[in-house]
Amino acid sequence: MADHLDAPGLKSPNMDAEIDITDHYAFQKPGDPNKSILVFNVNPLAPTLANSFQHEAIYEIKVDTDADAVAEIAFRITFSPKVNGRQTATVRRAVGANAAGNNNGGQVIINHAPVNFDSSITTTESGPYKFYAGLRSDPFFFDLLGFLNGFKFTGSDFFIDKNVFSMVLEVPNTALGGNSKIGIWVRTLMPQNDEFVQIDRMGRPAINTVFNHGDAKNTFNHIAPTQDRALFEASFVATLESFGYSSTDATNIAEILLPDILTYDYSSAAGFLNGRKLTDDVIDIELALVTNGQVTTDMVGPHTDLLSEFPYVGNPH
Amino acid sequence: MNGINRRRFLQLAGAGSLAAATAGAATVMPVLPKAPRLTAASNGDSFSFRAVAGMPTRPLPSYASYVIEGHVDVTTKTGIVTKSVFAGHPEAMSTVALPGMSRIIRIVDVENMGDSFYIKGMIDDRSVLLRGESRNFEMRIDPSSGVVLTDFFGSEVQLLLDR
Repeated sequence: MADHLDAPGLKSPNMDAEIDITDHYAFQKPGDPNKSILVFNVNPLAPTLANSFQHEAIYEIKVDTDADAVAEIAFRITFSPKVNGRQTATVRRAVGANAAGNNNGGQVIINHAPVNFDSSITTTESGPYKFYAGLRSDPFFFDLLGFLNGFKFTGSDFFIDKNVFSMVLEVPNTALGGNSKIGIWVRTLMPQNDEFVQIDRMGRPAINTVFNHGDAKNTFNHIAPTQDRALFEASFVATLESFGYSSTDATNIAEILLPDILTYDYSSAAGFLNGRKLTDDVIDIELALVTNGQVTTDMVGPHTDLLSEFPYVGNPH
Repeated sequence: MNGINRRRFLQLAGAGSLAAATAGAATVMPVLPKAPRLTAASNGDSFSFRAVAGMPTRPLPSYASYVIEGHVDVTTKTGIVTKSVFAGHPEAMSTVALPGMSRIIRIVDVENMGDSFYIKGMIDDRSVLLRGESRNFEMRIDPSSGVVLTDFFGSEVQLLLDR
């Protein structure tokens, strides 16, 4: 539930789960400070709800290089239709105004990358880039039942045996812009009336889940980060105040959380809130922050099935 | 009683019902007591229902929907109830049931308490139970207020009957 199962209108399992974002991660490549690893996961409970990537969708990783909540760089991943059990991916890198828009433009940096539907790992390399796409163990860890039960955590990790569809991209840091302090978010887009429309998006984990009530969740998924503060800061402040924060502190925290963008300094190997590693206990950090220290842990920890090398995400269950 | 405060449970029935229940005088009535949210079967001795609550409960934003539904035969004190947790808050509930959180319950007793029904059940399939989870199930349905009171994995929760 970092962002699992919150895509608007998630009612047609064979379609929408494919574009339902579960998580994304950004971290310095272990052993190589000149490269970064970007992980973009979708399709919660895979392959139960869907067993492919959506071939009509754009899976996009946005990179803001100047802290204005507008992307100057974008990595766009698209997939062929699944035919005879096979599907391939294309990855593009767009820059400038092209990167900010809702389109599939950009220079192709990975082409014909096969999707893995089992535990096999087929990576595709092109120049400085390396890419993987396929079924993987969901690295997210959280006591979902305890959360639903009003923060009565028991240490039961709902995601311990779940899978997702992962896209893992290794990039040289230079491809993320010259300023090492960047902001990253991911989104999925689908074609509607001859244009691409944003369906789901995610910056930091569990922001939409924890802060937004009812239809506000859908609104949050549909808007751009530049609109976050105008539309949601007041409600975020109110939620934080309900946990005992002063108005000033609540406002300060809300303005850290919004716009909903994962801040990442690629020159640093530190984890969350600097980017996000697969092992970072983001929920514990956010629980303590949001609840003003009233709740500090859900009593579950990182999965032990992670790989020590690319694509890092564990083999599927 | 598994996770439910019996005093509160009974209070919901109102003073008259409480007195009757305490005295053991509640009897099963073969008709539904003003039950606009219950669907009566043709013979009037049974009903179907569906109740929903957002989880977590307010003031936290709901991420999922706790749904209890089933059919109860008041005369024979039997029936089947299912409880499930679906992704999405009640106003935008998905069709995706969260794995490991669904239960099928066999009703073993129905007590008519005037304005409400006090129902006991049993989860026959022990293999689905989580550590520490009871196989016993208790629920109070109050059609007049539209409220169902039961537990959610050990915590008391109030659901609203579908209209």
